[in-house]
Amino acid sequence: MLFVGVQLLVWSITGAYMVVMDIHYIHGDSLVATKKKTIDFDDVKYSLRQLMEDHSAAADVELSLLLNQTVYRFNNGDQKVMLSAYDGRQISPIDEKLAISIAQNLYTNNKAVVTRVQLITDNPPRELSRRHLPAWRIDFDDFASPSFYISANSGQLVTKRHSYWRIFDWMFAFHVMDYIDEEADNKLLLVFTFFAFIASICGLVLTYFRLMPQKNKRNRPLDDKLDKGIANEKA
Amino acid sequence: MKKRNIPKPSLIKLSIVKKLHKWLSLLVFIQLLIWLGTGLFFNLMDHDKARGNQNKKAIIVKEVEHKRLLNLDFIMNKNSKPVTEVALIQRLGKPYYLLTHEKGLYSHFKSDYSLVDAYVGDEFIIDDDVASKLAQASYMGIGEVSAVLKVKPPIKDMLKERNIAWQVNFSDSLNTSVYIDASSGRLIGHSNDDKRFVDLFFMLHFMDYAFLGKGSVGGFNNGQIIFFALLTLLFCLTGLIWTLELLIKGRYKIR
Repeated sequence: MLFVGVQLLVWSITGAYMVVMDIHYIHGDSLVATKKKTIDFDDVKYSLRQLMEDHSAAADVELSLLLNQTVYRFNNGDQKVMLSAYDGRQISPIDEKLAISIAQNLYTNNKAVVTRVQLITDNPPRELSRRHLPAWRIDFDDFASPSFYISANSGQLVTKRHSYWRIFDWMFAFHVMDYIDEEADNKLLLVFTFFAFIASICGLVLTYFRLMPQKNKRNRPLDDKLDKGIANEKA
Repeated sequence: MKKRNIPKPSLIKLSIVKKLHKWLSLLVFIQLLIWLGTGLFFNLMDHDKARGNQNKKAIIVKEVEHKRLLNLDFIMNKNSKPVTEVALIQRLGKPYYLLTHEKGLYSHFKSDYSLVDAYVGDEFIIDDDVASKLAQASYMGIGEVSAVLKVKPPIKDMLKERNIAWQVNFSDSLNTSVYIDASSGRLIGHSNDDKRFVDLFFMLHFMDYAFLGKGSVGGFNNGQIIFFALLTLLFCLTGLIWTLELLIKGRYKIR
């Protein structure tokens, strides 16, 4: 128990945290305002055919909205490009001001003040996947200090994080005993799970003996008789 | 160590802690063994097999003839539903406009799409025949299509999916099923007996049991696991106090 006890406690604390906190809240889904704006096709003066002619390498072309303007987004090799659907002018990469307005527009609390803005091009923090780079990080001064990550090339919200997600992330790392990649197939976890399993079986045996007094009572007359018999034999 | 005579105001009564620990052990032991057993399984399992993608292959993308692409306003005149996004995509090697009418934060959230042929302008409906072809285009196993069924959520293989899908079953040794979104024709994913086996262990680990008329949901935020997690937490805390007491009393000795 001394050996695996601490990890059992860690499992029960982290496990309890993870099941009690609603996963959709942890993902930050409730922080994102639902936008139901539809495309006005009169704004689309730059046709898709034109786009394909100007950018022959364009793949996965998409027409959608960026705040109030209609834009095309597509992949050029491994880079995302964004063009105005009105005149074909390139919008990406977006500047700080636009990134802030996108984030504020998507955040449910539109009164929240932006405290910090940072363009991340390299070495993403633990909470942002490398594939989303480059991205703007916009921190809000609000409950649980939320951060929105806006892709600099697509202008889309790629990741949303807040304090409870950050805690959850560490909880999961401690739960699977992999503090860097958070994979459940590491040797440390195997050793601890194995010994914890043995310890639990031992504990179950103990529970059986501690909480089963009737059985001992039932056997007592028999034991007494046996003891008497032995005593008699000796005499 | 009976100190009943000395009335010492202690924060935690050790006898109560021990009693609690013993009775809690009786309540949580089955689930605790399940957690450890399934945890051991997750640690040792083949993580590639667990994904259910043994027979999955990448879908081939073909060159689009730009000059044949129809203008979007022409398409829009025929479509009455409001559109929030248009994407030029391919299905079975042909280009289509995927019109988004409704879309959630993630692809498995409730959504509503329609497809329009990007060369001709006709609406493209994903029926059982198309779904079967789409599934085969993503399949590299040796099995044949044995059944095509329309399934509504909750889908047992894809519990998180909230949209109507086509289930295309293949007659291979793993009983592969391929799921196609019924409105967009998007490949939702593959599943097979290996993945189903792993799903069973997740269901046990997350206590995602069909319970009180509620089916499994593919998550871990259910009432029964919250209850047992808190009991287990209490069980571990009382155990910790007991262990600390034994340590202080010098009961852990290395001979």
